[in-house]
Amino acid sequence: MTTQTFDVAGMNCTACVMHIEGLEDEVEGIESIDVNFKQQRMVVEYDDSKVTQQDIVQAVERVGYAATVQESE
Amino acid sequence: MTNLAVVFLTGLTTGGLSCLAVQGGLLASSVAVQAQDDFAHSSADSIAKNGSAKKHVALPIALFLASKLVAYTILGLLLGWVGSALALTPQLRAIVQIAIGIFMLGTALNILKVHPIFRYFNIEPPKRITRYVRRRSKHGDGRLITPIFLGALTVLIPCGITTAMMALAIGSGSPIAGALIMAAFIIGTSPVFFGLAYFATKLGERLHDKFLKLAGAVVLVLGLYAIEGGLNLAGSPVSFSVFVQSMASQRAASQQAANQVPTPATQDASGSSQQPSSAGTLNMIATSQAYSPQAIQAKAGQPYKLVIDSQSNRGCGRALVIPALNLQATLPETGQFVIDLPAQPAGTLRITCTMGMYNSRIQYK
Repeated sequence: MTTQTFDVAGMNCTACVMHIEGLEDEVEGIESIDVNFKQQRMVVEYDDSKVTQQDIVQAVERVGYAATVQESE
Repeated sequence: MTNLAVVFLTGLTTGGLSCLAVQGGLLASSVAVQAQDDFAHSSADSIAKNGSAKKHVALPIALFLASKLVAYTILGLLLGWVGSALALTPQLRAIVQIAIGIFMLGTALNILKVHPIFRYFNIEPPKRITRYVRRRSKHGDGRLITPIFLGALTVLIPCGITTAMMALAIGSGSPIAGALIMAAFIIGTSPVFFGLAYFATKLGERLHDKFLKLAGAVVLVLGLYAIEGGLNLAGSPVSFSVFVQSMASQRAASQQAANQVPTPATQDASGSSQQPSSAGTLNMIATSQAYSPQAIQAKAGQPYKLVIDSQSNRGCGRALVIPALNLQATLPETGQFVIDLPAQPAGTLRITCTMGMYNSRIQYK
């Protein structure tokens, strides 16, 4: 299992947090998504044999937000 | 009482769309169970012809919204009760109201994305709750129970504007007023929820950003309104209404000086009518619209009876407060109410309502 932090842009309130966290039930391979609204970032735990970082970024874009991988991770 | 029409319009114009992202998802899940059943029994063509799917879908939408209305009304009742328990004194109520106003300003500035620091005004329910609500919505197993259950659960996932309304309900200091505020807001949001769910368009998403800005502006104004009320309630010499009264006084005084016309006995410098005080009695009228006159002249060092004529007074103006005397009174809807005022030094004695929205003052000279 891999853990990766992403910066997320476009969140306005708790609704957006729930929207993005809902991807953990929709994208196969994602174990959990923990969104931090105040820091505008999310920590994703995923199975890298089933899903890639690019897949996660695209899934977030599909629900209306922008995600970028944090390079420091 | 807070202007329920404004609260309703806030829900109607901005609240619905700004809260739609998450609660709309729950609503869609409520409808999905029914819709799947409909499509299993009817062809797409026959649905298009007779609209039977829409008819069926309308029921879970209505149940969802009715359940949500009931849940939020009960929440408003509880918040108003909490507010009434907190508001033991006018001073404490003023502090609570100013704090609520600051929270609303922070919420507005967060919505408007003025600075990242305002994100701290966003209330996030525990992740366990949001996760439970989300998953429950996707595994609905009851056709009618599910929308009712999910509608009630929206109370656990309020968005920014809803939390601002919740703050307003606490500030009302009354269970009934709190319930009315939340009910008016939720009723206001319902047409947007119903419309979008019923017609299943993407209109909301496209207009979401624009409406968010409008929503932020509305909450900003409501926040300033709450702070203004709190300042008046605290008897603060600094508030918007005091500033307006001061400007009006200055304007009237300068006009009088320019025209060299003496002020009539029944007019004060600010132009608001007042009655001459005599025989130790001061008169004031309280209606649903205002306290009048805005200024009453009195002699310093003399006790008075303040006779308040309450006329069809159904608003929060019935809950009168004189902050400096730590005095609270509930006026009759119609009838006279007398307050014994002890002798006061020269200066201004503010009279307001529990929300700080109705104002008058006695000027002791």
